[in-house]
Amino acid sequence: MKAIKFVSILFVIALLVTACAKAPVATEVPVATEAPAATDAPVATEAPAGEAAVPEACNSDPFGCATFKPGDVVKIGMGAPLTGGYASFGIDISQGGELAVKDAGTWNGLTFELVAEDDQGSADLGAAVANKYVADPAVVAVAGHIFSGASASAAPIYEKAGIPMLSPSASNPPLTSNGWKVFNRIVFTDEQASTAVAKRLFNELNVRKLAVMHDGEDYGKGLAELVAAKFAEVGGEVVASEAITPKETDFTAVLSVVAAKGPDAIFFGGYTAEGGVMANQMKTTGLENAIFFGCDGTYGEDFLQKTGVNGEGAWAYSLNPPDSPEKLAFDAAYESAFGQKPGVLSPYTWNGYDTVAGLIDRIKAVAITDAAGNVYIPRGALVDAVRAIKDFKGVSGTYTCSEIGECNIAGPLFMVIKDGAWVPAQ
Amino acid sequence: MNDTVPLKLNTTAAKILKYVRPVIGIAVLVFILYRLYSVLIVQHEFGLDTWTRLLVSGLIIGGVYALIAIGYTLVYGVLFMINFAHGEVMMLGSFAGYFVFEALNAAPSAASPEMSFLNANPILSVIIAFLAGMTVSAGAGYFLEKLAYRPLRKAPRLVPLISAIGASIFLQNAAQLLFSPQQRSFTNPDLLTRGQGWKLAIGGSNVILSYTGVFTFALSIILLILLYTIVQKTRLGRAMRAVALDKKTAALMGIDVDRTISITFLISGALAGAAGVMWGIHNGLIDYYVGFIPGIKAFTAAVLGGIGNIPGAMVGGMFLGLIESMGPAALGIPFQLKDVLAFMILILVLTFRPSGLLGERLSEEKL
Repeated sequence: MKAIKFVSILFVIALLVTACAKAPVATEVPVATEAPAATDAPVATEAPAGEAAVPEACNSDPFGCATFKPGDVVKIGMGAPLTGGYASFGIDISQGGELAVKDAGTWNGLTFELVAEDDQGSADLGAAVANKYVADPAVVAVAGHIFSGASASAAPIYEKAGIPMLSPSASNPPLTSNGWKVFNRIVFTDEQASTAVAKRLFNELNVRKLAVMHDGEDYGKGLAELVAAKFAEVGGEVVASEAITPKETDFTAVLSVVAAKGPDAIFFGGYTAEGGVMANQMKTTGLENAIFFGCDGTYGEDFLQKTGVNGEGAWAYSLNPPDSPEKLAFDAAYESAFGQKPGVLSPYTWNGYDTVAGLIDRIKAVAITDAAGNVYIPRGALVDAVRAIKDFKGVSGTYTCSEIGECNIAGPLFMVIKDGAWVPAQ
Repeated sequence: MNDTVPLKLNTTAAKILKYVRPVIGIAVLVFILYRLYSVLIVQHEFGLDTWTRLLVSGLIIGGVYALIAIGYTLVYGVLFMINFAHGEVMMLGSFAGYFVFEALNAAPSAASPEMSFLNANPILSVIIAFLAGMTVSAGAGYFLEKLAYRPLRKAPRLVPLISAIGASIFLQNAAQLLFSPQQRSFTNPDLLTRGQGWKLAIGGSNVILSYTGVFTFALSIILLILLYTIVQKTRLGRAMRAVALDKKTAALMGIDVDRTISITFLISGALAGAAGVMWGIHNGLIDYYVGFIPGIKAFTAAVLGGIGNIPGAMVGGMFLGLIESMGPAALGIPFQLKDVLAFMILILVLTFRPSGLLGERLSEEKL
């Protein structure tokens, strides 16, 4: 009883501490500038009356300019779940973004600020947060939203106000097919991932016969079906498609039947728990020579530990960037600032940094400074500039946006097990 | 219970039902035979190598089911209740085996310092792990009976059943709290590395008999024979059979009924513990939930074979294992439906033989 009491007290204290730690993010918002409560955005160009002439670009821009005097703060929004069940995503990604703001420092007498607002990942709060941003003339871009549902309801609002979005994590495929000019994302979708998997299997691993398996759950099943479709598109043959039951640990029977179809490789959509067992059991069911190809759900140290020698040569892909000097520097900075390794709270920490850094880079590119030191940011031009991101180098990769706003055309990072460790595939 | 009036249906409805049931049964049977014919003879999809692999897979899992099913059957035999916490007893055994292997893997060997104790003395390590697993599970079964079932011995039959379900939930959650919900990977000695085995050239390709699989199957057969000998040949077994037949008369004959029931729980717990360690060694992953599915399957196997009947539990377990592995392939249906198939067969068997494959007429008290 005492132990339980002690643990619950600890728990309450932990809650309080996290709540207090979160507070600055929430309270910062009302403090900042005027923000009239009007929902109809005062996006108009507010050229200071006594100043010199407004640059020509502002007059011709469909959305006008956001104007800053020296010493002002340029705000970047981020609609993110900061409370509730998905809070870890929002907290983590916004922390990644904070570091990008820190790195940007002062520029032309201006500073940047990341204004994260809680949308709980839901569609209705996503729209509410969007209206709040639109009402604040200092917000020029949004690094978000984090969740697909919130992004979908927020995008039409930004579309009217000319505020570009660059989402680190909203991966629902249809988001980029709505014709929104403002919506872009650097996360790759399941569709892109499966295309990359199919091409990798067919072109580089010379797989002609593929068996797809999944755990019957939404994510694994959807992914496996996409891979099967894409693999057929590139000219391969899908010889078997089977589902296993999650939480079971004996797949020898179903693997034997799959083996009879003679696949060169097995693609598995699911998680390490089942994937690791499967990789083990492939070795005794006539699939000794078939390649185990997993997804981001089967990537991680866990998989190595669960498969041992049987995992050798298995593939997976990862949301985490490969180790590079920039990434290691970011990891160290993140850990010293927030006391935790990146990628623990969510797999999108690096994307959080990259979206904010990318937006700041674009803002600097389109901004016009006049003789008095005032900075004008033409909103319409910024929307176009974000869509035109090309060869932008972030910590998790190099981004180039397509004409519909898919900025991670490189697709996922493939990993393969070599000598008992995951190494990035060539 | 023999003096209660059975529920009577409307006579015409009863008459119709009497004819409908066998008709449905025969229709399903004919359908299965037709599918078998079209898949095996006409399409001829799988070679001998595949069938051998499926047979091996079915026998291994069937052996484990049989061991667990014995526990259900023994307890049903003496107490006429289904011990729904039996799967959790097995889970505790697998955790005991896991911790023994972990400890031995961390301990250095006296003879060769560069090896762990586990790999220097693999046979001894496996024996220790099984002893630990069986002891823990036997203890769990013993105390389960003492705490959760004995006080309810005189209560109506449904009451200990609910108590068993409660115990099952309690043990599952206790294990989740104690051992964390995370899955753990069994550390086998190198001798029993998963994914390795003897090669057997059949039907144009190598069928691999995994070391862990052969070990699991052999051990389960040995334990089943041992159990059967105990029940049939020893005084203890005779006492168990006597209690199963009639508790009051057995007591009059000088048999200590409470002690016999305790021993029954010890034995069924020990078998479940062995099954738990085997499960860990062969499949490699355990967590607090590991006993649930095998528990349900083994219960099914016990009913299939005829609950209360020991050879029935063995046959039922093997039969269920083989249906699960070979059935979907033989009928040409997706493997996702293996449970559907298994339970369909169960219904089919019970339609024609309500007391199970090897079930005999139950004594009146059990009805």
